[in-house]
Amino acid sequence: MATYAHAPLAPTAKARGLKGLAAYSDMLANFVRKDIQVRYQGAALGFLWSLINPAVMIGLYIFVFSDVFRSTQPHYPLYLMAGILHWNLFSQITGQSCDTLIANAGLVKKIYFPRLLVPISSVLFNVVLWLLAIVLLFALYPFIGGQAHWTLLAYPFALILFLAFTFGVTLILSVLNVLFRDLKHLIDVALLFLFWVTPIVYQFHRIPPHLREIFALSPLVEYILIFRGILYSGHLPSIHIMGAALLWTAATLGVGLFVFHRHADNLVERL
Amino acid sequence: MPNADDIVVVDRVSKEFVLHHNRVDSLKGRFVGLFHRRHRPRREHFLALSDVSFSLARGEAIGLLGRNGSGKSTLLQIVAGILKPSSGTIATRGRVAPLIELGVGFHPELTGEENIYLNASLYGFRNREIRQRVRAIVEFSELAHFIDIPVKNYSSGMYMRLGFSIAVHLEPDVMLADEILAVGDATFQEKCRDRIAHLRRNGMGIVLVSHSEDQVRSICDSFIRLDGGRVVESGRLGSTPRAHALGGGI
Repeated sequence: MATYAHAPLAPTAKARGLKGLAAYSDMLANFVRKDIQVRYQGAALGFLWSLINPAVMIGLYIFVFSDVFRSTQPHYPLYLMAGILHWNLFSQITGQSCDTLIANAGLVKKIYFPRLLVPISSVLFNVVLWLLAIVLLFALYPFIGGQAHWTLLAYPFALILFLAFTFGVTLILSVLNVLFRDLKHLIDVALLFLFWVTPIVYQFHRIPPHLREIFALSPLVEYILIFRGILYSGHLPSIHIMGAALLWTAATLGVGLFVFHRHADNLVERL
Repeated sequence: MPNADDIVVVDRVSKEFVLHHNRVDSLKGRFVGLFHRRHRPRREHFLALSDVSFSLARGEAIGLLGRNGSGKSTLLQIVAGILKPSSGTIATRGRVAPLIELGVGFHPELTGEENIYLNASLYGFRNREIRQRVRAIVEFSELAHFIDIPVKNYSSGMYMRLGFSIAVHLEPDVMLADEILAVGDATFQEKCRDRIAHLRRNGMGIVLVSHSEDQVRSICDSFIRLDGGRVVESGRLGSTPRAHALGGGI
């Protein structure tokens, strides 16, 4: 009536879907706020809980790799954190966001809103939780051997590309997860595997030379090298590595959006 | 043919579902299916709606009659945009608000007020638009005293009242309802009917799914009857004045 009475007669879903995506920005905010509120309600330290897991993990790796294995890497804590925080971002988003469509099935089957908002809100929720950790890293940065390099300026761009890559992976997984409900178990195993074949806690040059080329094909290896280049060594990795990361990002995001759009409407029937 | 006053136009809509017998939605199941014929999935195509057309003008109400499984609810979901038709087109004007299940998307741990924002934003409302309506919603629901406690502590009646109040304050152009047009006790139901009559006078259309011919006769201007996904009967219910139809509150 009031606002929409004179709107043209439009195909139901489409008109409100793509053009209306911006109108739903408050819904995203409300959703993320709800998730955070529900997750940390009643906890006096609230938000800080999200730091405990990474803090313990980082502490243990520092102990194992500097004191047990006696890594000679200077400033090992910074070296480790530059890698592991970004790994955490990837693994938390892909591990948790892939079943959001199923978790929100009740909603998706009852109300029409652009389906893309479901994975987007889940990714945003994880990013918000993660921000606290990265802010802390930057606060500690000068004290753990970080230098103010010009390469730091590239960080926001690298982060956005990395998030785009992660989002693409999430879209593909969230569609597949509706079709194959046991995919979640496989994802957990795959994440464990990927963690150890990515030079996060160890150095890239420790990988046997004949395997390095193969490892470097992995987008995660490329992104970890990029983040470590920016935050730790102060120079960007080779153009090949960055180009490969860019290609992976474009491909994953493209395939993810395509698959999601193609299947989003039919998925409702299978939820 | 589309009329300038139409707010819903359903044109030769068909909907085919694929029934998955032995549905396999796990990788493990797929693998087992390679070896055991018995576990292999079979697909069957099922026509839930076949060539359904109707249109709805501003301020009018149409009743969808039919037995269980005749396709009424599927049709409602298609009008809501939740399901895509297999063929045919569907067009709507303005905001479509389903009154199908009240309080969808409420989170039990959040307070009534927080849920108002959450729920209304699912329909594409901005928070500032909701802020302007919160008072009216709370007042209508008669829950002012409870609006700041989590809805998990609400009785089912309170829950329904809040859901209903939100739905009728979203200023929908099209209201989709499944039998329920009023909730709560007798007094509150009266208020619901008044509110809906008021919205209708302002141009809101209603698509009402119902088993009850009496309900449709008393509320709707026209009806279609579905059987096995086909329209078997349709017509206007011109004899009943609309004002009288909606609870006589006018």
